[in-house]
Amino acid sequence: MTQIDVVGLTKRYGTTLALDGVSLQAREGELVSLLGPSGCGKTTTLRCMAGFMDPDAGDILVDGTSVTRLPPQKRNFGVVFQNYALFPHLSVFDNVAYGLAVRRLPKAEQRARVADALAMVRLQGLEDRLPRALSGGQQQRVALARALVIRPRLLLLDEPLANLDARLREEVRWLIRDVQQQSRITAFYVTHDQAEAMALSDRIAVMKAGRVAQFATPREIYQRPAEAYVARFTGDANIIPARPRDRTADGGFHVPFGGVMLPVPGVDGIRPGDPAMLMLRPEALSLIDPGAEGVIPALVLGTAFLGAALACEVSLADGTRLRLQASPHAPVQPGMTVGLRVDTAHAWLMPDVLS
Amino acid sequence: MSCHEGRVAARAAVRRLLPRLLLGLPAVALLTLFFVLPYVEMVAMSFRAPAFGQPFGSGHTLMHYGRALGDPIYTGALLRSLLTGALITALCLVISFPLALHLSRLQGRWHVVFYACIVSPLLIGVLVRNFGWMVLVAVDGPFNRWLLAAGLIERPFRVLFTQGLVVMALVHVFTPFMVLPIATALRNVRPELRDASASLGAGGWETFRRVTLPLSFPGVQAGVTLVFVLSVAAYVTPALLGGQGIAYMPAVVVRELIGSFAWPFGAALAVIMAASTLAVVTVFTLATHRLAERTRG
Amino acid sequence: MMRALSAAVLGVIYAFLLLPLVAVVAASLTAGELMRVPPQGLSLKWFARFLASETFREALLLSLQVAVTTVVVTVVLATLAALCHRALSRRLAATYRVAMTLPLLLPELLTAIGLLFFLNGLGLGKTLTGLQIAHVVIAFPFAFLAIVAALEQVDPAMEEASASLGAGGFGTFRRVLLPLIRPGMLTGGLFAFIVSFDMFTISLLLKPVGGNTLPLALFDFLTYDFDPTAAAAATLSVIAAVIGVLAIERMVGLKRAF
Repeated sequence: MTQIDVVGLTKRYGTTLALDGVSLQAREGELVSLLGPSGCGKTTTLRCMAGFMDPDAGDILVDGTSVTRLPPQKRNFGVVFQNYALFPHLSVFDNVAYGLAVRRLPKAEQRARVADALAMVRLQGLEDRLPRALSGGQQQRVALARALVIRPRLLLLDEPLANLDARLREEVRWLIRDVQQQSRITAFYVTHDQAEAMALSDRIAVMKAGRVAQFATPREIYQRPAEAYVARFTGDANIIPARPRDRTADGGFHVPFGGVMLPVPGVDGIRPGDPAMLMLRPEALSLIDPGAEGVIPALVLGTAFLGAALACEVSLADGTRLRLQASPHAPVQPGMTVGLRVDTAHAWLMPDVLS
Repeated sequence: MSCHEGRVAARAAVRRLLPRLLLGLPAVALLTLFFVLPYVEMVAMSFRAPAFGQPFGSGHTLMHYGRALGDPIYTGALLRSLLTGALITALCLVISFPLALHLSRLQGRWHVVFYACIVSPLLIGVLVRNFGWMVLVAVDGPFNRWLLAAGLIERPFRVLFTQGLVVMALVHVFTPFMVLPIATALRNVRPELRDASASLGAGGWETFRRVTLPLSFPGVQAGVTLVFVLSVAAYVTPALLGGQGIAYMPAVVVRELIGSFAWPFGAALAVIMAASTLAVVTVFTLATHRLAERTRG
Repeated sequence: MMRALSAAVLGVIYAFLLLPLVAVVAASLTAGELMRVPPQGLSLKWFARFLASETFREALLLSLQVAVTTVVVTVVLATLAALCHRALSRRLAATYRVAMTLPLLLPELLTAIGLLFFLNGLGLGKTLTGLQIAHVVIAFPFAFLAIVAALEQVDPAMEEASASLGAGGFGTFRRVLLPLIRPGMLTGGLFAFIVSFDMFTISLLLKPVGGNTLPLALFDFLTYDFDPTAAAAATLSVIAAVIGVLAIERMVGLKRAF
């Protein structure tokens, strides 16, 4: 259906640069998440795409045609707002039918399409209710149906789950994914929740201070982050300053760590001898008998029982602190000396960028 | 929680809040004694027998109502007051909506400046504001001189002591009462709703008609009710700017009370005026009930 | 095009709102003998004449006396009532608030008529006390609303914090609430002053024998004369309002006060 290209979007508020050359694209039927902390520019990007805000520079293309100069009502993009933005004076039916009424479609067609849209979001029998008589989850479904019923070229979702409680969030998240897959609508999804982004997206753009720090698949973002900022934002990670000695035969790096030399994969542009950052996800670390060959000795500082795992904090001889998850049955106690093994396939070396 | 426990908890809450509630007593006493009771007294007075040489006699009668409702002088004045009130309310609404819209879209410094322009007349007495119109429209006043200079009229025309001036001055007096509730209602319309409407394909006018206008209704209702009630009972402005020619209900009432010293009859006229105002407001409220229900907070 | 048109419409409406007030002030500053706008030369002589007139001077003094008393009584009552309002549940508070503002919502004329009969029954008809009571009743809602607005800005957790630190009800009021709502109380007092100073219909029906407030004196004057002394008297009201608006904006911000 639709391919979207965002090229060099720039937006300035007074002296602060809210967007600093944001470029993204979504292929037909793809769901792209914009992930980042508040103030990173993800919502501003979405609002520029929707046409609620004019970018100072840059372009937004739909199938190669610029829509940047079009007002929102001419873009035919469906928008789902964080607080739903349902019209409080209109019934569920009239809310969903709004875009069709504005387009002056015949009443019979409006009724049929509204019924289809409500069936799609699995919300039927509440057509005459006012929004305030609905639960949060139901309101969210109405908002989704209202955005879909106009058969938009693009679906824009601005933190649609932020106001739902945890249990509902899970449910509506899958609903959104189902609906988007079913209708094959290209979609952009703004969120600050990495788990949500991972679960939903085909690709994720991690944003940082008005720029795209990395734009890639969830797997790549998690396992091969471009910089420490991305690694921290996409899950638990131990990030340790390191200096690679030289390249390995398979294109990785030899990195001295805790008294041993680890062969780890990493970002290509790093030169041996330069300061870099070593990422060790908790699952890359495991505890073994300290006496074994080639292990790194570590001192257990503290533990916390999490049910499925035992979270441990350990410190190495040089004072480096690491967090990892051990088996809940592991006989580990604060003050014990343990052996640490690094699964180098799950380690990753990144350039040292100020974050 | 059992019923008994509930009662204990409620009693504890009352004990904790009681000192606070007692603080409200003086004001409640003030308003009961010197506001509610006077209104009761006004109704009671309207049934008292008339007397010569003093405001009212002993004994009770319905004759004042019969006299007031049977005489076209009084019913005519009442009708004129109600119609003029409706006209003033409508004009206020027409003037106030653009102002409220303008006000609700301003931010920061400018918002305060224009807000002050609308609010400050509220702090200036009706008399002074009416007097301003007297100055402006006097036969040798600036309006006539500008119109003469512009060649639009040949002789200065007399505006003072006309019904048009009374209406205009009252619209001037009551506009802030209309603007403020509407501006508040418009401010309460969340901006995302306009964004949502635009994203669904509605242009500026369409969004205004389908979203902004209906959602401003709570403010319109408050403003319309307030302005109508106040304008029907306005005394000063017609007295000062309307001259002797046109009789409005408030002037008739005051004349009976102060001029003729006929308190029971004056009270009956006042009750009739209040009751008919209330009736109009009730009809308006019922007629717009559905819309109000849908658009409230 | 649309823009220019709507700006023009707004301009006309704002001019409509403000011109009469400007005219009053301008007329009072004339150096000539006639009411003229724009004024012929500038002088303050009409203010001097206003003060030289015994009728106006006495009326001004009576108005000031009544207004000051109104402020003191109203602010005390309104503060107490606002504290009570804060303790009520949402629903009750809404009802209470409407009840407390009724004198503002019902026409002054009707209230004046009721009070005329009622005060007469109490033997307070045509007395200064009666007039004073009526002014308090009408001015009360203005002060009440201002103080309620100020109290709504205070986080209830502040009172709880104060109580948990050992302060009793009065201690909390004196040390926490009072300093926080003082601007609101001043605003309320200003409102009460201005409302009382400008009150007409109530004063017309309830004025004490032989006493005239300034608006009544002005009305009488306007019925027979039309010289700039009246403009000088009216300008006092305008000045009071402008000072009031500036002070309120300084202290609490206009938007919160209304």
